[in-house]
Amino acid sequence: MKADIKGGAAFGYLDLALEPGESVTTESDAMSSMAAELDMEPKVNGSLVSAFFRKFLGGETFFVSRFSNNTQETKRLTLVQPTPGEIRCVDLNQGSICLQPGAFLAATDGVTLGLKWAGLASFIGREGLFKLEVSGTGKLWYGAYGALLEREVDGELIVDTSHLVAYDPSMKLKVQLAGGIFSSFFGGEGLVTRVEGKGKVVIQSRSISGLTGWVNPKLY
Amino acid sequence: MSFTQYRVVLTGVLNPGVTQEQAIEAIAQLFNTQPERVSQAFTQAPIAIKKDVDLPTAQRIQNALSQSGVMVDIQTMEGEAVSSGQPQDVSIKGDQQTSKGSDELQRYDMPGLQFSIEGRPDYAFLTVQLPKNETLKVEASAMATMDTHIVMKTKIKGGLGRLLTSESLFINEFTAENGPGEIGIAPGTPGDLAHVHLNNETIYLQNSAFVASSSSVITETKWQGLAKGFFSGESLFLIRCSGNGDLWFNTYGGIIMLDVDGDYVVDTGNIVAFTEGLDYDITKVGGYKSLFFSGEGFVCRFKGKGKVWIQTRNVGAFLHWVEPFRPVESSSSDD
Repeated sequence: MKADIKGGAAFGYLDLALEPGESVTTESDAMSSMAAELDMEPKVNGSLVSAFFRKFLGGETFFVSRFSNNTQETKRLTLVQPTPGEIRCVDLNQGSICLQPGAFLAATDGVTLGLKWAGLASFIGREGLFKLEVSGTGKLWYGAYGALLEREVDGELIVDTSHLVAYDPSMKLKVQLAGGIFSSFFGGEGLVTRVEGKGKVVIQSRSISGLTGWVNPKLY
Repeated sequence: MSFTQYRVVLTGVLNPGVTQEQAIEAIAQLFNTQPERVSQAFTQAPIAIKKDVDLPTAQRIQNALSQSGVMVDIQTMEGEAVSSGQPQDVSIKGDQQTSKGSDELQRYDMPGLQFSIEGRPDYAFLTVQLPKNETLKVEASAMATMDTHIVMKTKIKGGLGRLLTSESLFINEFTAENGPGEIGIAPGTPGDLAHVHLNNETIYLQNSAFVASSSSVITETKWQGLAKGFFSGESLFLIRCSGNGDLWFNTYGGIIMLDVDGDYVVDTGNIVAFTEGLDYDITKVGGYKSLFFSGEGFVCRFKGKGKVWIQTRNVGAFLHWVEPFRPVESSSSDD
């Protein structure tokens, strides 16, 4: 499968060339254009029960789409994400990565979407009771709003909750106040996430709360 | 003020495995010029091949050329070396397939705090290295990442003035206690970031442009006057930044820095910042007919000598575009 991420950091999209017999699973509604001969079927996101939990607790959709190439030729498929921003690819090799709700875009066969208990702290931080853990062997594409930046953590790092996109599953997340009581509520930072451990986190360089904070005061 | 201009100097040195023909080809392509002119330049190397550009532009040229194996130096116009040879590899790699090395801006030898800007120009993100006990002033709710030993305090800045601007009333102060630390700052608007180092100088910012500054920079809210403020379509206030230290501000869209000498007209919605010493008036572009029918409305006319930073998008225009599609009566959630 040939896969190219195009469109830059502002409006990234995924350009796939599916070889005969290949298939890819995508977030529902991610397809923007495709060769007419490709077969698309909606699939329940995992088992019925876990799909249910994923939708209502994990912030993901109940259904995902599966595109298969049952012809004898290479066929093209382009995928997009709803937010303006960058798309990235991860090669999972028996590894796993945790994604924030809404970040999943597409994955090749061999990659499974799992749901894990994230804890009450995550719920308080408005990130849901469960987290999406993607594991297996294959390619995973994910995206978010803004540019995606990687940070190596060895020890601790504080990340604004609305900027966190992906992180190594070995890392521990804790929710805490940004500063003192006064600062946390009047300083606009509120709750932040404290990431602990050794590994990588991916953050987005913009957040929807930043956007609304800029636009809303100007609207009447 | 550190609006230093830079030049890109062709050293004549090539990476191993790159022939002069290939190098000439690459340069000719980049500058859209005849290969003959480039090969002539090579015989005179070292020679400046680009003059009077800002640092990001110079670095972009350096990056582009180094990919074709051509080594260039960046110097100030006075000939002071800024960076030479291989540009610093500041891109974030790892197992990611996209890297944005050439979009990144790292500072070399200027005074002030160490910082880097990533994600330019669409979603610029500022990372500042704070030395021990140093304090950084940051626009409220713009902090995205920080080391755990950085302590945040909220201050009410600018008194009543800031209450009246649509900008949030609070500026947060981040202090690196018990050792140096790193803080990542994400502005709210989609767009670029600019940095200036103030050296006992004063710069005026449009009221939502402030991102961060060193603690030594004084930020005050300044009343524009009713007529100027009202007709400008922007806020009635500007933020006056003065003193010594670093200042970062953001734009909606791209950023253009202009040297003004004489009169210059800018659409009021596109002004981001300007230096003290420039006088300005809010006027109409043409007669009353064009005021109402041309769609240009009021503009800002600058007079004098100084710098003006403008943004390539206008928030008013954006709101006009979005407004018809907004649901009525819905309360906008800020989650």
